[in-house]
Amino acid sequence: MGSRQITEKSLSMLRSLPRITLANIRDNPGSKITQKRGRGQHGGDKHGAGNKGSGQRQNYMRLGYETGNNPFYLRIPHENYYRGHHLKREYPPMTLLELQKLIDRNRVDISKPIDIASLIKSGLYTLNPDQKHFGVNLTDDGADIFAAKINIEVQWASEQVIAAIEKNGGVITTAYYDPHSLFILKNPQRFFETGQAIPRRMIPPPDAIEFYTSAATRGYLADPEKISQERLKLSQKYGYTLPNLESDPQYEMLTDRKDPRQIFFGLQPGWVINLKDECILKPKDEELLQFYSM
Amino acid sequence: MASILINAIKRLHVSPQIRLCSLNSAAVTTTTANKTINILKKEWEFPPLYTKPREVWIENLDSVEEKKLGLIELHPMVYAAPPRIDIIHSNVIWQRKYRWVSWAHTKTRAEVRGGGKKPWPQKGLGRARHGSIRSPLFRGGGVAHGPRSGKSHFFMLPFHLRLHGLTTTLSAKLAQDDLHIVKDLELPTDESQYLVDLIENRNWGPSVLIIDDTDYAPRNITAATDNLLHVNIMPVYGLNVYSMLKHDTLVLTQAAAEKIEEKLLYHLHSDNRERMKKFKIDQV
Repeated sequence: MGSRQITEKSLSMLRSLPRITLANIRDNPGSKITQKRGRGQHGGDKHGAGNKGSGQRQNYMRLGYETGNNPFYLRIPHENYYRGHHLKREYPPMTLLELQKLIDRNRVDISKPIDIASLIKSGLYTLNPDQKHFGVNLTDDGADIFAAKINIEVQWASEQVIAAIEKNGGVITTAYYDPHSLFILKNPQRFFETGQAIPRRMIPPPDAIEFYTSAATRGYLADPEKISQERLKLSQKYGYTLPNLESDPQYEMLTDRKDPRQIFFGLQPGWVINLKDECILKPKDEELLQFYSM
Repeated sequence: MASILINAIKRLHVSPQIRLCSLNSAAVTTTTANKTINILKKEWEFPPLYTKPREVWIENLDSVEEKKLGLIELHPMVYAAPPRIDIIHSNVIWQRKYRWVSWAHTKTRAEVRGGGKKPWPQKGLGRARHGSIRSPLFRGGGVAHGPRSGKSHFFMLPFHLRLHGLTTTLSAKLAQDDLHIVKDLELPTDESQYLVDLIENRNWGPSVLIIDDTDYAPRNITAATDNLLHVNIMPVYGLNVYSMLKHDTLVLTQAAAEKIEEKLLYHLHSDNRERMKKFKIDQV
């Protein structure tokens, strides 16, 4: 809001002006425009609405209506590839360039594992789980200048993206979250304030199981040994030397993973987070423990 | 008017405001010419980058004569914000309107008693055609498009306009020497006259708004202000633009000034997307 010099100047000017009271304040001149109906020779004739019919009566037809014709949206037959489009999962994209910008501007903390919650918390990525958004699709724009070593968990990623992250010594996992878990991750505070126990994360639907159990896509249900083989294979395919994870000073952070049933890092399903008293209530009942461990 | 402006411009001397802030200092005691001044320096989570913190005297209330007890540093984002008169104005309009329910009421032609019968035949009399003696054209008839009672003027000002309304008004008050900071609200007596004398002596405007950080003010000041309708006490959560402008002088306790600063700085630097959403009256 204005440069500092202008602010200082106007504040020191105010010092020698009369006291600001309820009686001498006003809005900026011209900030409020009241709509007036035109009068007189040229403005008053039809008041700008035109002559006769729908226009003069300002009867705005509904969208797509063609005054009695068979409208376009009904005239064109249903295309087969739209079948079930209202059920398909959507993954709103985020590019590697955007991720790099988030990191450079300190909007995400790379000293900790990054998940969908931290991307949303950065304020520059939005997700609407109620519109069938199932998480982030990390795309390869800016892969050639991506230079951060991160442990990131996304919901969809291509081979180039995986290569770009692993080339820098980072780790990527693709993990499935059901819509309810995503709602919780989108605004954890609102969920914790309801006082409910953190639920279990659901397993992927049948058509997504293959993606999330495959080591080539770094699925969270894949065998870790196969993943390390795939990491090596990918480095040979793209021609970079794979940095050694075991000798990395950030080994602990880079190998941190969520349990397939876990929603938050460090919080187990079944726990109740009390924000008011700043404590965690854990279940003790045998039946509950068994339920949440499944 | 022109001369006032010219005088104001002559008095301007804007010194370069850029300096690096020392963050790791608390209370500094400066000794100048056999007097010691306590300067209360603060460590802010969001320190001012390009401006000096505002230094304000801490005064006392336990004697009629003013004693300066020390200096306090205030954050320029809250106490030296750009003085936007239009934002102050929109806040005042909002505060007047959101609680205003208009009870003005008129009857329509259907609600005025009588008028069911056609006053005279449609044709044959040479008179204008009419269907009811209560039509809006008739004396004693209903009113067309008149005010109907229970009209609410409620609306919500956008979050950041409310936020900047507070910072702007506080800054304007400080710039015009109408903001004073006192150590606490302890008075030696519960006489109203003491407070009247104090206000007179210090050349505070006749009306004074006192802000404390708690709901419970000390007994003496409560009793002393009880009969003075132009001296009012308010907790920090009641601070608003309208009351600040209604009173000539704003007196903050040191704790209140710090609490206001902390709360406004928090909102100026946090993610307010939830609060910025369109306000719905029936939101759950």
